[in-house]
Amino acid sequence: MSNIILSTKNLNYLYSKGTSSQIHAIRDINVQIEKGELVGIIGHTGSGKSTLIQHFNGLLKGTSGVVELEGKDIWADKSKIRNVRFRVGVCFQYPEYQLFEETVYKDIAFGPKNMKLSDEEIDRRVRESLRFVGLDESYMEKSPFDLSGGEKRRVAIAGVMAMKPEVLILDEPSAGLDPKGRETILQMIMAYRKTTGSTVLVVSHSMEDISKISSKVLVMNESHLAYYDTVDGVFSHAESLKNMGLNIPQLTELFLKLKEKGYDVSTDIYTMEKAKDELLVLLKGGDKNAQ
Amino acid sequence: MLSDITIGQYYKGDSLVHKMDARAKIIFTVLFVVMIFLCKNFLSLALVGLFVLLSMILCGVPFKVFFKSLKPIVPVVIFTAILNIFYVSGGSWEIPLFLGLKITEKGVSTAIFMAVRIVFLIIASSILTYTTVPTMLTDAIEKLLSPLKIFKIPVHTLAMMMTLALRFIPTLIEEIEKITNAQKARGADFESGKFMDRVKAVVPILIPLFVSSFRRAYELSFAMSCRCYTGGEGRTRMKQMKLHLRDGAGLLFFALGITGVVLINNYFGAVI
Repeated sequence: MSNIILSTKNLNYLYSKGTSSQIHAIRDINVQIEKGELVGIIGHTGSGKSTLIQHFNGLLKGTSGVVELEGKDIWADKSKIRNVRFRVGVCFQYPEYQLFEETVYKDIAFGPKNMKLSDEEIDRRVRESLRFVGLDESYMEKSPFDLSGGEKRRVAIAGVMAMKPEVLILDEPSAGLDPKGRETILQMIMAYRKTTGSTVLVVSHSMEDISKISSKVLVMNESHLAYYDTVDGVFSHAESLKNMGLNIPQLTELFLKLKEKGYDVSTDIYTMEKAKDELLVLLKGGDKNAQ
Repeated sequence: MLSDITIGQYYKGDSLVHKMDARAKIIFTVLFVVMIFLCKNFLSLALVGLFVLLSMILCGVPFKVFFKSLKPIVPVVIFTAILNIFYVSGGSWEIPLFLGLKITEKGVSTAIFMAVRIVFLIIASSILTYTTVPTMLTDAIEKLLSPLKIFKIPVHTLAMMMTLALRFIPTLIEEIEKITNAQKARGADFESGKFMDRVKAVVPILIPLFVSSFRRAYELSFAMSCRCYTGGEGRTRMKQMKLHLRDGAGLLFFALGITGVVLINNYFGAVI
């Protein structure tokens, strides 16, 4: 009936509960994520992004509140938590450090093997996910430790994709890569979502990246959920985003400054297209004034 | 879970014991151990207990922290005590049990002595590690062992290795937790299955851990050579170790303790 795939209700989490170093990592998080969305998650370091995503696949259990996957509490049956992890695939920051097998093939097959799939299915999935991350089949028999940093990263992401999770969560997938590597990863994520139709959550520091790929944006600020809205909706709060210490896209910044100088422009602009249109309108209007 | 281990950890503070010279503290710990093993009757044991209590108060570390570090040792203490009850015999009374086992006066007192001694030993060594930063500790060990250089033992290298090993324990713990989470996210199962399955389940954690440890070691050695590290030869220290009045006071404290224990032993006779 509903197309909500992942939702939380009053989710709270305390680190080192009951000691002097207790930290309230996330507070009263209420969010409903629709099927098929590509959600960008942004927030300052320590705002609770990583803690939040670890709740989505049950690596952490909220101190209070619930996480629901298709309307069912993921902790309803504790012994089934592994199944939740197959359905909500999480790929952590710097995933290349988790590679351990002798060959790329075996490493990608680790997840599907844990799912107890047949050999043919595993083989199919490994090849498929290699294609998703843009590596050809000549990589299959290579040792993951002989690859370049960017390639390792892609193999590690393929390892999560091979489980065909309904929700794929990537924590800073492009951190530490060069601009070309970042672009490749972003393209890859968009292509994956298009082909499989699955829901994708991407944590990132870069507003530019987020605005380019996401359909929805989730903003975390000081362990609270600040916004969960469309890209336009979130960037319309450009000023409060800046107060949270988040760097808004350069284009949006430019239009904010123009507005400050007294030009009549809208400030929810983050793509080249929109910027061009808006500027053209402004220039035409400007001409009129000059005459 | 791993981060709950408090033995060998530093507890930040500004007490008299924290300020003492690390070399002195190592020697005092040795003296403490000597004192603990010298006592032969309950009165001298009580005196040692008083000294332990005083040191615990002086070092300013909450008692709660000590209890936490003692918790994992409890089974060992109980096991030792039970063994001693049955293995040692003698004394003025005995209660025969089944199978020729019997509880004797000497057995019971030995058991109590052993249990209390183990607890005291752990507290004494905990005071050293709680009040001394690991780097100071290894510096002090280097200084204390420096006479061994005559026998061509690379004291500085050994101390540096210890420093680095201690430095990387928290880093490795953090790394293990990260890798474990990543493999769990791929459905790795560490909690169920047969013994062999569980052993095999550790491989996906151990290999990345080894790989990153080697990487870290390389990076560290490069960073050290970039800062012109060439070993202990001609190396000076930023913090010179100096003995103060408080270190002398510490020596007096233990001299009194040991003398007291010996006197009580001679005066009241030995129980064990």
